[in-house]
Amino acid sequence: MSGGRASVSGIRIPGDPPRLLTVEQEAGRLLLLRTLSAWSTLRSMLAGARLRLGLVVVLSLLFWGSLYGLFTEAFTFLESMHADVISLLFNAFFSSLMVMLVFSTGILLYSGLYGSAEARLLLTLPVRPEAIFSHKFQEAVWFSSWGFVLLGSPMLVAYGRVHGGAWTYYALMLPFMISFVVIPATLGGMLCLFLVGWIPKLRLHALSIGLLASSLIAAWVAWSVLAAGGSERLNAAWFEQTFGRLAVTEQRVLPSWWLSSGLIESSRSGLASPDERSSLAEACKFLALLIANGLLLQMLAGWLARATYRVGYSHLACEATPRRQKRSGRFDSLLSDVGSRASRPLRLLIVKDLRLFRRDVSQWSQFVIFFGLLALYFFNVRSFDYNNTYKSMIGFLNLAVVGLILSTFTTRFVYPMISLEGRRFWILGLLPVHRDQIVWSKFLFAFLGSLLPCCGLVWLSDTMLGLGTPLVVVHEICCVMLCMGLSGIAVGLGARMPDLRESSPSKIAAGFGGTLSLVISSLFIMTVVIVAALPTHLYLATRSLGPDAAARGLFTWLGSPGGITASVAVVVALGLTATILPMFLGLRAFRRMELA
Amino acid sequence: MIEFDHAWRTYGAKTAVADLSLSIPRGELFALLGPNGAGKTTTIRMLVGLLRPSRGAVRVCGRDLVRQTREAHLHIGYVPDEPCLYDKLTGREFLWFIADMFGLPRHVSQRRIEREIETFELGEFADDLAESYSLGMKQRLVFAAALLHDPDVLVLDEPMVGLDPRSVRIVKDLLEDRTREGMTVFMSTHTLALAEEMADRVGIMVRGQLRFLGTVGELRKQMSLESTSLEQLYLELTAPGAAGPRRRRQETPDSPH
Repeated sequence: MSGGRASVSGIRIPGDPPRLLTVEQEAGRLLLLRTLSAWSTLRSMLAGARLRLGLVVVLSLLFWGSLYGLFTEAFTFLESMHADVISLLFNAFFSSLMVMLVFSTGILLYSGLYGSAEARLLLTLPVRPEAIFSHKFQEAVWFSSWGFVLLGSPMLVAYGRVHGGAWTYYALMLPFMISFVVIPATLGGMLCLFLVGWIPKLRLHALSIGLLASSLIAAWVAWSVLAAGGSERLNAAWFEQTFGRLAVTEQRVLPSWWLSSGLIESSRSGLASPDERSSLAEACKFLALLIANGLLLQMLAGWLARATYRVGYSHLACEATPRRQKRSGRFDSLLSDVGSRASRPLRLLIVKDLRLFRRDVSQWSQFVIFFGLLALYFFNVRSFDYNNTYKSMIGFLNLAVVGLILSTFTTRFVYPMISLEGRRFWILGLLPVHRDQIVWSKFLFAFLGSLLPCCGLVWLSDTMLGLGTPLVVVHEICCVMLCMGLSGIAVGLGARMPDLRESSPSKIAAGFGGTLSLVISSLFIMTVVIVAALPTHLYLATRSLGPDAAARGLFTWLGSPGGITASVAVVVALGLTATILPMFLGLRAFRRMELA
Repeated sequence: MIEFDHAWRTYGAKTAVADLSLSIPRGELFALLGPNGAGKTTTIRMLVGLLRPSRGAVRVCGRDLVRQTREAHLHIGYVPDEPCLYDKLTGREFLWFIADMFGLPRHVSQRRIEREIETFELGEFADDLAESYSLGMKQRLVFAAALLHDPDVLVLDEPMVGLDPRSVRIVKDLLEDRTREGMTVFMSTHTLALAEEMADRVGIMVRGQLRFLGTVGELRKQMSLESTSLEQLYLELTAPGAAGPRRRRQETPDSPH
């Protein structure tokens, strides 16, 4: 640099001017981009997140194996029944999956196409809108359908094994799954483009109404199937009624029917006999039907993207955002103003987090959906008759499910809170607030916020199961300890291992600390539930089987009211340890943290 | 080169850009100024095809941004206010991707990528993943990407944010050289000194309307503030309730300022 002028060598080089690419070239460039990104991500994970990757692989294999075992048992049991039962189950399963894939892909594409920085970049390049749609569609399909592969593949492999399927069945399984997934996913994408592009004003309302209607239909079907026919289950009349109610899933125009029929045909297929060859041909026809429809829908989606994507993007970006009310809610005011002066900063921090939670649709909507589905399931548990021992076991399993769902929320939303706070620490750092109060406010927010829905769900489950008051009290104490311990683990570890560089909460949660928090949370839940369930189970088993079958020695004491009381005391101790230890580590680290 | 033809853009009932008519010829460096919320970013997003005008048209090199979007994009290089990169690509891979999307032949891409790496002094970190870059490094890479295809029109939204003084100098010199060679630059900025130093013409936008269009000298003349800095003129013009310079002169022709 001389004379105040940097050594700029950016002289324009004469050469070929830029030119528009063909459709194939655009697809090729975007595929290369995806491959490079995926490869780089994999290399980073192998280099820096081996524990996480290993855990994911091991847990996935464990999950896959458990499901495989479960499905093998189920299909072995169903083999003795009418052949139509399998068809009915496949149709019900795949049609429900189809509805879920339509919505999940649609929602993922909505954020991918209209809210992502990548879409904004691609829209300023000379790329066809349908190529951008296709690029983001592949991403959305990957994220929406991996669950289907994880859930569906053990089921189909188990079915093939129980049914004695030939190699042709296994060879056709993956093409069937992929070609099926494309159809609902494309429909979801088209729905998204249509809603945003053509009826932007109705977009959110239509989406909400669609989701609500689907949930209500699913709830109605589940309710009517489970609640029908009085107390007698699994008899001929019950099956007949159930078949009638699920007939809607057996419509021949549904891709789920093509898939289930194709899979059933392919399980009978082979090359040895004419019958097997005929079944193979039939299965291939169903596969061709799925592929042809998938391709047709892809063409239509491409056309729709060409016609609506850019205009939809512009409409959406230019929609007026509603102005927020200036006055704060009564609850916020109450929480801010009532209480001692010394605790006011703590309460104000909680109110701030509460406001952020209320205004983040992704947080509360997931909370409502998951806890709503649990509530729906708990409402239905009374449809079956159980003896006291089973009731108690199911009650504890329900408690564990509530804990596991809560742990996913604490890991996904509570764990990153301190990391995100660190990025705007200059605001809090200049306020007369002790650092400890910031961490405690997160803990109280998570603990108090989870207490009511979790204890409510556990109470609902116990009431529906008709459990006695002592057991309800034990469950509620466990639930309070779970809420407290899980909040402590997430907040404490979040403060101990913050990621101040990352702005995305999902990426913070997916890091090493988040994974560790999830694993410790799962171990904590299992320990609490086992410690509480064992004495209760022994106590109830002893009472139902009589004194002859009573457990001996230590088990005799464990299965007594004294043993139950002691187990509750251990649960409380576990809850306090899971709260105090991570919080101590987190507070210490947060006090020492140097923030720029 | 750039033409806004009675372009409007509304956000619900709010008008972000009102009846914008503006023509910027080849080789001119144009700076768009205005307070926050004046409509500058909306104007830029219409210019790069992200937003469509509610009414009117925007054209670049004669190509309509709505009807011939891709053809227009071939002539545009865009540096947004927030640099967007792929975290899991290296700087060099990102440049290759952009060059490929503009359909440049491999040998041309190769030469131009090396040219931009040298110009923006990216060599040290060009082969690191973009996730490890600072804001300034990202901004330099985005500049390099925007210039790869030698665009006829370069659109810059707050271009100097995050750049260190040396990088600012590099960008200024580069803009000077390129405009001399015929490239048109459309720049939105709050850095008035930059506009005063570099712009051939400035436009001052207030509440979606172009209050002034011309050189800094013309602005001084119109506001009868001959020896005042652009900053003072800008503050006068954008003060709440301030009228446009022409109207102001007509109403109070002899008012001393």
